[in-house]
Formats: sequence, structure tokens, C-alpha cells
Amino acid sequence: MKPVKIAMMALTHGHTRKYYQTLRENAKLDWVASCAADQRAKDVYALYETKVPCYLSAEEMFKKHPDIEAVVIASANDQHLKEMKLCASRGVHILSMKIPTFDPKEYDEMIKIVDKAGIVCQIELEMHYNPVVKRLQKLIADGEIGKILSVQATNITLSPVWAFPWQGVPEASYGKRVPLRKGDPRFRGGALCDHPHIFDLIRWLTGSDFDYVYSEVAPNLRPDLEVEDMILVNGKMKDGTSFLFDPSWSRMEERLKVPGPGWEVFPKRMEVNVTITGEKGTIMCDCFGPNVYHNGAPNDRYTVQYTYFDEWIGLIDEFVACIREHKTPKINLKWHRQTIDCMNSCYKSIESGLPAKVC
Amino acid sequence: MQLKKMNAALQWLREKYAVKADGELVKSAAGSIGARAELKMADGKLVKLLPWRKERRFVELKNLVDNKTLEGVSTLRFAYMTSGKAVGELLYRELDLCAFLGESEIKSAFAVQNGKTANVVAKLFDGKNCSVECSGALPSGAETLDRHELIARRGVACDRTVDTQVPQSSIYVFGKDGETRYTDIDTELFGFDTEEILLVRAAYAVLSDPSLARVWNKADAKLVKQTSDVLATEKNGKPVVYKEEK
Repeated sequence: MKPVKIAMMALTHGHTRKYYQTLRENAKLDWVASCAADQRAKDVYALYETKVPCYLSAEEMFKKHPDIEAVVIASANDQHLKEMKLCASRGVHILSMKIPTFDPKEYDEMIKIVDKAGIVCQIELEMHYNPVVKRLQKLIADGEIGKILSVQATNITLSPVWAFPWQGVPEASYGKRVPLRKGDPRFRGGALCDHPHIFDLIRWLTGSDFDYVYSEVAPNLRPDLEVEDMILVNGKMKDGTSFLFDPSWSRMEERLKVPGPGWEVFPKRMEVNVTITGEKGTIMCDCFGPNVYHNGAPNDRYTVQYTYFDEWIGLIDEFVACIREHKTPKINLKWHRQTIDCMNSCYKSIESGLPAKVC
Repeated sequence: MQLKKMNAALQWLREKYAVKADGELVKSAAGSIGARAELKMADGKLVKLLPWRKERRFVELKNLVDNKTLEGVSTLRFAYMTSGKAVGELLYRELDLCAFLGESEIKSAFAVQNGKTANVVAKLFDGKNCSVECSGALPSGAETLDRHELIARRGVACDRTVDTQVPQSSIYVFGKDGETRYTDIDTELFGFDTEEILLVRAAYAVLSDPSLARVWNKADAKLVKQTSDVLATEKNGKPVVYKEEK
């Protein structure tokens, strides 16, 4: 198979650095160029010494590398439509970050332009390529616990806003400035927008779609943020499965400009734990464990050192296969729409104080 | 529950510490969603027990809030999973712990249920969020699993170890009959199981401080109503919202 000539765009998304190793090592890829959203992103990119040329404009990158076939759009959410349009106009395949947009009209426009251009647009939800999740899906599918009654899941992390400031800016993260509710000084666009994975996962596990959600925000752990950082969600799927999600930034961090060792204050910087109760049993699952532990440099603090999995390998493998074999990715724009609709319904519930239907 | 032995232990504690008030543990009425035993005082008055309020791990979690080890608590994340207990019984305890450890009363709550499970999102009057995961669907004979986590601007406290999913034990025996675990929590009441110990300690607490009887009976009445209200929210299609008591 001819390697796919791939590029990265913007480099301001928190997951940007996760791709570097995979893009370099995957023989099915030829990583030819990158372009940074600004000089700061370019400077940070230089720290990783990828030896792949980096430009400050997408147009210049495409001009210098007209053979680019696919792009990882690693930008702020409010830049996605513009960048998708640019890629689609050149017939370039797209690997989009986890939130294409929260604006339903923009979302429909994205579907339209991707369909019209006949390109692959895969949404990056890396949990699908996690071995623990794969085992979980198999156990459920094999009927180990019978019909699912209830799903509880955390998708909790430290806050990335100090390294990736757009995630704390309502316009850049949510797409516009919408107050959480009357009398609350905060706006939509915080922790919820960073954590779609568990909203997606329950759809795969149950084979059902969302019926309604109820959501509440708590006092922020970081009072200086103007977006929410602590949030809880419960609700029901159409098949009756009840759920309770915690998609908060509930793990405190050092305010590093570039992520690295010592980022976490709480020993564990990230957790996706899932408890599933079925008619015949219960499964408890830690998607990123077990790990190793230390209290060494840089802060001499007890720290959970992740034994990271290889999610990005599987994700990129699927992307390449979809491009070369003209297939539709599992997580495509149309599939992902309901997940985004559900997250929007969480904000509607916060605003109204009532459960909100997911349309 | 070994009520006779538990009452003997209660009397032994009374005598050892020269507690004047007297009473005995009696089984709670059928259908009660509170603790499985109550205290019948010498004058015949019944006292509802909230034994978890005397459980060391909850006392220590509350101490962490009271002594400002944690500052600016934002969210409480609780889970309580058992074999056989009704959802109402599980929620009763957890709602009490929300107010006890959150140090504010419940303002609103919304629950979704399915089978022997309930998932609750609640808010306290001071703004804290609480999540409560309840399940009575563990297989018969399974050990109870629970978790109580307090998340604050400064610090996180939890009765479970970081990066674990199930409670740890003090002793693990890998013998010819397989694995056996022990978690003994009270030397004076050595040999009783945890539920029995907590009931004896709660009864003893009331006998030592009879003014607690009124406080706990009042709290029980409130919790019975709250539990019923919260479990009705899904059917009502909206959260239950309370007015703050002055």
C-alpha cells in the first residue's frame, strides 16, 4: 500500500503531541509537513524535534506540498469548519479532533461539504482503540452480564487550559459566548467540551441512543476560569439504560505552558473508569490501568505514571484504511452528531434546571 | 445480626465507661430503609441510628473538611453497591452522607432508575454537587463496594486508594481454601462484623450523649421523605427542589 502523505494543521489541540510518534513510525504514512496556528504553537512544536517542516499558514503548506492527501486538524473548535472547507476544497481527507463543532448548522454544513468532496472525515475518539474498552465491548457482546441496566463513567482529567488556552475561551471552545444559566458568571465551553468519550462509549455499549439528560455544574475548582470545570450528568438511553457521567476537570494541575512530567498535582492526571450493571452481573473497568507509581522528579510527589496504551496506532490505522479502501470510519460526522447533540442538551439542562430531551 | 451478643457488648461498653443511660438494640421494623437496628431506650423511646456517622472513615473524611485540610469543597462523588439491599436503603445512607460530609442540606436532586439501580445528581444549598451511584444488583454473596470522594479546590479526599477500583483489605490469606480477607476495625468489639460494630457504636454514642436521639430521629424522618422524593423524580420528570430551613 502506498503510504498516505499526511500533514498536521494548527498544532494547538491538546492531543497534538500524541500523534508525533505514530505519524513518524507508521509505515503506511509519510508525514510531510505541519502548519502552526501561531508562532507560539510553532515554538512548542520545535521542542519535539520532529524534523518535519512547519509553516505558519495552511495555504503556504499546501502550496509547498501539493501532494498532501490527508490532514490531522489539531486546532481550536472554532477553527474546524474553516479548515475543513479548505481541506475539502483540495480533496484532502480529514482526521478531526473530538469536537467538530457544537453549532448544529455548522455541523450540517460540515457533513455537506465532506459528502460533496467525497473525502474521508474521521473523528478522533481514541478510546475505541483502547484494549480495555475492546475487552469491555466483548464482555458485553458475549452477554457476560446480560442486558445493561446502568452505566456509570468518569472521564476526569486535569485542566489543559494553561497549555492550550483556547479550551478556556468560550468562543474558541464552544463556538460562542453562552452563559451557563441566569446569574452564573460562567459560560459554556469548559470540561464538558473536553470529554465526549463516555457519551460516545455508552452508545456503542448499549446500541441505543440518548433519550434525555439532566446536568448540574458545581463551584469551579479554578475560580479564574470563565468556563465550567466541575459538572455531573445523569439521564436515560432510549432502551431504558440509566447513566451517570462525570466529565469534569477534577484533577488539579501545575499551570505548565507545555505538558510534561510534574503536570499533575493529584497523583492521577486522568481517569476513565466505567461501571456497568447488568441483569446478570456487574463490570468495573479502569480504561487506563493498572499503572506504575513514583514520587521522584520533578516534584517528589506521589504520582501515577501511566503505562500508556497504543490508541493512536489503531486510530491512524483505521484512518489510512478508510482512505485507501474507500471505507467510512466508525466515528464519522453523521454518527457523532448524536453525541454532540447530547452534550448540547447537557448545557440546556444546566440552563433550565430540568431534564432535557436529546433531539 | 447477633442482637443478643451485640447487646451484651453494648452493656459491657456502658459499664466500662460508666455511662448512665441504658437501652438495647432492637431490630428495625420491616420495611424500614434506615439502619437494620434501632436503639430502644430504657424509657421505651425508640431512637433511629445513623451508624455511618460514627464510622471512622466518615469521621476522618469529615475531619478533613472541618480542619480545613480540604479547602473549598466543590463536588462529592459517592457510590454504594451491594447484593440484596433495596435502592431506597442505599440512597438513604448516601443522602445522609451528602449532607453530613458536605455540611449543607440537599437543595435539589434528580434520579434515574433501572431495575435495582439508581443514579442521582444532587445539589446542596451551598452549591456543592453530589453524585450518588446506587446498585443492589451485585450477585448474591458479593462483598459490598462503595466509594466516597470529596473534591475540593485544595485537595481531594477519598476512602479508596488512588488508581484502584475496589476496597482494599487489611489482611489477605492465600490458603488451601483459596483467598480469605479480613478487615477488622474495632479492638473492643473484635469478632463482630462491620455492620454489627457500627450499630453497637452508634447505640453507645446515643447512650453517651442522649441529646443525639432527637437529632438522629429528626434526620431519619427527613431522610425517609427525601429518599422517597428523590426516587419519584424520574416519574415526575423534574428534580425535587427543597426550600432552605431557617
